[in-house]
Amino acid sequence: MKRLLSSVRDGSGFDIVLVALPLGFLFLMAGLPLLYNILMSFQEVDMFSLGTFLRPFVGFKNYTDLFAQPETWPILGNTAIFVIGSIAGQFLIGFGLALFFWVNFPGASWLRGLFLVSWVMPGLVVGAIWNWILSGDFGVLNFMLRETGIISGNIFWRSDPNYSLYAVIMANIWLGTAFNMILLSVGLASIPGDLYEAAELDGANAWQRFWTITLPMMRSTIGAIVSLGLIFTLQQFDLFAAITSGGPNNSSNVTQYWAWDLSFRQYDFAKGATISVIMIVFVMFASVVYVRSTRHEVRG
Amino acid sequence: MTKQIELSGVNKYYGAFHALKNIDLSIDKGSFVALVGPSGCGKSTLLRSLAGLESISTGDLKIAGELMNNVPPRKRDIAMVFQSYALYPHMTVEQNLTYSLRIRGVAKAEARKAAEEVAATTGLSQLLGRYPRELSGGQRQRVAMSRAIIRHPKAFLFDEPLSNLDAALRVHMRKEIRTLHDRLGATSVYVTHDQIEAMTMADHVVVMKDGVIEQQGAPLELYDKPANKFVAGFIGSPAMNFVPAVVGEDGRSLAVDVGEKQTIVLDRQLQPGRKVTAGLRPEHLHFVEPGQGVFRLPVGIVESTGSATYITTSTVAEVTIVETSRRPVRTGDVIDVSIRPADVHVFDGETGLRV
Ligand SMILES: Nc1ncnc2c1ncn2[C@@H]1O[C@H](COP(=O)(O)OP(=O)(O)OP(=O)(O)O)[C@@H](O)[C@H]1O
Ligand SMILES: [Mg+2]
Repeated sequence: MKRLLSSVRDGSGFDIVLVALPLGFLFLMAGLPLLYNILMSFQEVDMFSLGTFLRPFVGFKNYTDLFAQPETWPILGNTAIFVIGSIAGQFLIGFGLALFFWVNFPGASWLRGLFLVSWVMPGLVVGAIWNWILSGDFGVLNFMLRETGIISGNIFWRSDPNYSLYAVIMANIWLGTAFNMILLSVGLASIPGDLYEAAELDGANAWQRFWTITLPMMRSTIGAIVSLGLIFTLQQFDLFAAITSGGPNNSSNVTQYWAWDLSFRQYDFAKGATISVIMIVFVMFASVVYVRSTRHEVRG
Repeated sequence: MTKQIELSGVNKYYGAFHALKNIDLSIDKGSFVALVGPSGCGKSTLLRSLAGLESISTGDLKIAGELMNNVPPRKRDIAMVFQSYALYPHMTVEQNLTYSLRIRGVAKAEARKAAEEVAATTGLSQLLGRYPRELSGGQRQRVAMSRAIIRHPKAFLFDEPLSNLDAALRVHMRKEIRTLHDRLGATSVYVTHDQIEAMTMADHVVVMKDGVIEQQGAPLELYDKPANKFVAGFIGSPAMNFVPAVVGEDGRSLAVDVGEKQTIVLDRQLQPGRKVTAGLRPEHLHFVEPGQGVFRLPVGIVESTGSATYITTSTVAEVTIVETSRRPVRTGDVIDVSIRPADVHVFDGETGLRV
């Protein structure tokens, strides 16, 4: 007992306690629900068996049923468009802004801080704001597009199946750009200035310096941001709830919203869990990319 | 001799701060020029102005006869070795070396060949595939040099390239850089705060202080005829002793004030009664037999390095003597010291200028 105590005080026991506490917490709050979720995806779940743990095992029936449904593939397609569109938009605009603020004109850091406002706002509030912007009859977006002559008639962004998904993507890009910009700004700031001076003396113009110094030096930051972006966009739920509710007719539905809809509105918990498991696979993949890209950081 | 770099009336302001004041400097093709001076005197600023990394506020800068004031760094054809080396961390040694060639669109095979040739001369052949983080400090330094050499630039600029190396390697690299310079027939400008480096490596030494060139010339010229007290104190190690003195009635002797007045004879005629500062180099002061010296000094501290003994006197104006003989001396002794009249430097008591 005494040995144990002293080991905890100043031996390796202390390290183990430090590691065990967060691991235990993680297992309890994230690991167990995850396992339970996987278990549910192989069971038959209805309103009456909700409270029990051991329910009839059905093998891969939930999975085959899910892919037999006509809306499954379109929703998976929507999810892919949503993820790729959001990440591309957030990243490109975020990178552009980060480069812009990198020039360090007077007031740059102050203005950059202001951009964080979008990131601080809850998704539902952002959704509400975009509802106004996107509104068919009196929305600012339609007004601007009309005035600049890009469109002749109003687009009903939220209720037109051709546009509903893109309406949410636009809002999500707005929401995530600031986060991208901040991380990319940090990455840019960590590149030593003398590398640019050396490259300049070596004859590289601004464009060549960007391609041969900035981008390669930012590789790990970019890898981290894209994989975090994948995780965040796969989690994006509030905007769908606030703007389109997945409609009309699933035209803007994505897996994360659909899983919730199946579980808590149609009470088909097994299917909801099945979709979640499919998503977990993707998130795991993103996590591995994230961990690898932060591990392979270039150090001078 | 053609002039490779010419600066005339160059001034540099950082806002209200006047960093370079009326710099006139011309550098011959093929010469090795060292810029020395205490920290903050503007050495790096001057070097970076040559490279174009800083723009000069007024004056003219010519490289190989062409006005360069508004030419961007990449078009000046000048290579720089940074104190931090500034190697590209995401590139191998070979890629670091060939960067400038690849930017200019030189074919891959040709660039590779050039890298191998340069690496052979700088001893990097075995390391071409490594990343900078896998190299020692000395090896990084060589990569930084090789990266400059491969370009055959109009001039090499070095900003304290050896300050991150240990003493032994520094002495070694000193010779190596100079040898490379001679072999390439290059024009080099070398910034250092170490006057020994400047004296041993350069053909032409420029001493700066507070943005002003105090004196420039051949190393021995600066040592033998320092233009003022600052240069006299800066060049030479250990530093020159300065003692207040008054020119004697006859104008050919100095009454030196080291605790008590002692007289040394001069080899030139000065205005009698003039207040001056006498500059006595430690290595020119000799510890001699009693009765043979020009003055007598009480010994304060004795430090021996084996090859030389450093004697510091306990007088008000401290005097350091470097003695290479092993003659025994202890704290508290009073010793006789001699100096040749020709070795006595005299500076004006007020302006500090050489008399
Ligand atoms: N970007 C800048 N803005 C304002 N002042 C500067 C800037 N860069 C340098 N200075 C000032 O100019 C003076 C000269 O600086 P410089 O770097 O040339 O000194 P240095 O001689 O190279 O010194 P060191 O031996 O410490 O490297 C210093 O007083 C410094 O504070
Ligand atoms: Mg400097």
